[in-house]
Amino acid sequence: MLTVTNLRIAYGGAEVVHGVSLEVGEGECVALIGPNGAGKSSLLKAVCGLIKPTAGNIVFEGADITGMAGHEVARRGIAMCPEGRQMFPEMTVMENLRLGAYRRRKEDISAEIEEVMTLFPRLRERASQMAGTLSGGEQEMVAISRALMAKPQLCIFDEPSLGIAPKVVDEIEDTLVKIKALGVTVLLVEQAVSMALRVADRAYVLEAGEVVAAGTSAEMSSDPRVQRAYLGA
Amino acid sequence: MLVDLIQQLFNGLVIGSIYTLVALGLTIIFGILGIAHFAHGSVAMFGGYLTFFFIQQFGIGLFPAMAVAMAVGALLGVVLERVAYHPVRNAPPINAFIIALGLTLIIEKANLLVFGVDQVIIPTGFDRVFNIGGVTLPELRVYILGIAAFLVVAMTILINRTWMGMAVRAVAQNRPAAILMGINVNTVSMFVFGLSSALGVAAGVLVGALFAVAPGVSGGLVVKGFAVLILGGLGSIPGAIIGGLVLGVSEAFASAFVSSAYKDVIAFLLMIGVLLIKPEGLMRRRSNR
Ligand SMILES: Nc1ncnc2c1ncn2[C@@H]1O[C@H](COP(=O)(O)OP(=O)(O)O)[C@@H](O)[C@H]1O
Ligand SMILES: [Mg+2]
Repeated sequence: MLTVTNLRIAYGGAEVVHGVSLEVGEGECVALIGPNGAGKSSLLKAVCGLIKPTAGNIVFEGADITGMAGHEVARRGIAMCPEGRQMFPEMTVMENLRLGAYRRRKEDISAEIEEVMTLFPRLRERASQMAGTLSGGEQEMVAISRALMAKPQLCIFDEPSLGIAPKVVDEIEDTLVKIKALGVTVLLVEQAVSMALRVADRAYVLEAGEVVAAGTSAEMSSDPRVQRAYLGA
Repeated sequence: MLVDLIQQLFNGLVIGSIYTLVALGLTIIFGILGIAHFAHGSVAMFGGYLTFFFIQQFGIGLFPAMAVAMAVGALLGVVLERVAYHPVRNAPPINAFIIALGLTLIIEKANLLVFGVDQVIIPTGFDRVFNIGGVTLPELRVYILGIAAFLVVAMTILINRTWMGMAVRAVAQNRPAAILMGINVNTVSMFVFGLSSALGVAAGVLVGALFAVAPGVSGGLVVKGFAVLILGGLGSIPGAIIGGLVLGVSEAFASAFVSSAYKDVIAFLLMIGVLLIKPEGLMRRRSNR
């Protein structure tokens, strides 16, 4: 479904992603793990069209989307739940959710609103509250729901557990499992590695802009290097 | 005394509603693009001249002439965004600043070339004067208040209740997130310039009917518009509405009860006062951006 080949990304001449290739198959949940500054978010931004890679290819459902404008990528069915949640702070929770369905604005979206509110009952209570006034965990719920509202072919999550209370992280894990069960293809970036490996089918390890290991989640969890660096073994 | 107060309140709201129309355009452009669009006043005057021209040449009424002028203004706004501001959207802000100054001169001179140096007053035929309990309500001023209120309400509905309006707010509040939603920022920018310029033209027409369309009026309009933005909060729509009315009423009270010589000083005193006490503007919460 998504094939990234030899992707290179630079900021003002300084290359931070040095030829990364990865693949996400239809219906799969793939985790991308690695330390801070490895280039994970940069890679996701390139996939979503927020930044342009300097070299390499991104192919989504058979079409080359390398360097395509971000809104067009979104309209093709890639949704992202970005790092730091990126709320529309002076809009209500409901408006944030509706904006998630912007690409489907000519359709009836009430069923999807109902769906995400069942997924996160707390959002129902908060529906008319300004998103900027929510707690971090609640904002993450809005960000995840907003991404789902697009009914995306591919849903990308960038560190949904970052800066969230541990109890809410468990809730987010449950939700990711549910999303997977719905048949949504998922690319998950996480530093909560044990959680990511529990949820994902396969994983890539990105360090300093390069893929240093890849395999099934089971293989990765038993890889001594991954255990030492990420699982505290 | 009470009658005087009500009279000045009415006068102030009429002028204030025009300030609001000017400020609404400036504030949504600032909110989306971070541009101080100084040429807005010249666009307003262009609309005033155009309306005068339509009425003189084709003998049509004020309302159809104004509607056509607003449509032309919207088109002009879209062209300005594409030709002047779009090319420098990723450049440092000083570029847009210089372009804004350049545009102001160009449109100002174009107005002179096309419409001449004479001031014109837009004829309306609304010459009746109502008197309610000692308060003088000239028909024209009542209509101005009505037209401005209609446009403000229509714009508020557009921004709050439609997908396009939601997209405008989304881009203003979080541009990258808006792109991730599938919102085309280019389309939103063009829409915002079109809408702003149409509102600016409406303000220009109302000024032209009440006072005059003339070279030099545009500068004053823009200064008042930005004063309202600072009063109400940069980028805030409720701020532009409340700020415009507050400025208009303050000016009316100052010229009636203090001295008309101090009328224009009021805008600056208010601005300084707000900057000292609530620097984020009357209608902005402190925590936001
Ligand atoms: N907008 C930017 N400008 C310059 N450098 C950046 C920018 N964004 C990220 N970087 C740099 O790119 C590298 C990778 O960052 P990022 O993709 O955010 O990594 P990760 O998400 O894995 O933590 C870091 O060294 C970071 O400092
Ligand atoms: Mg990151």
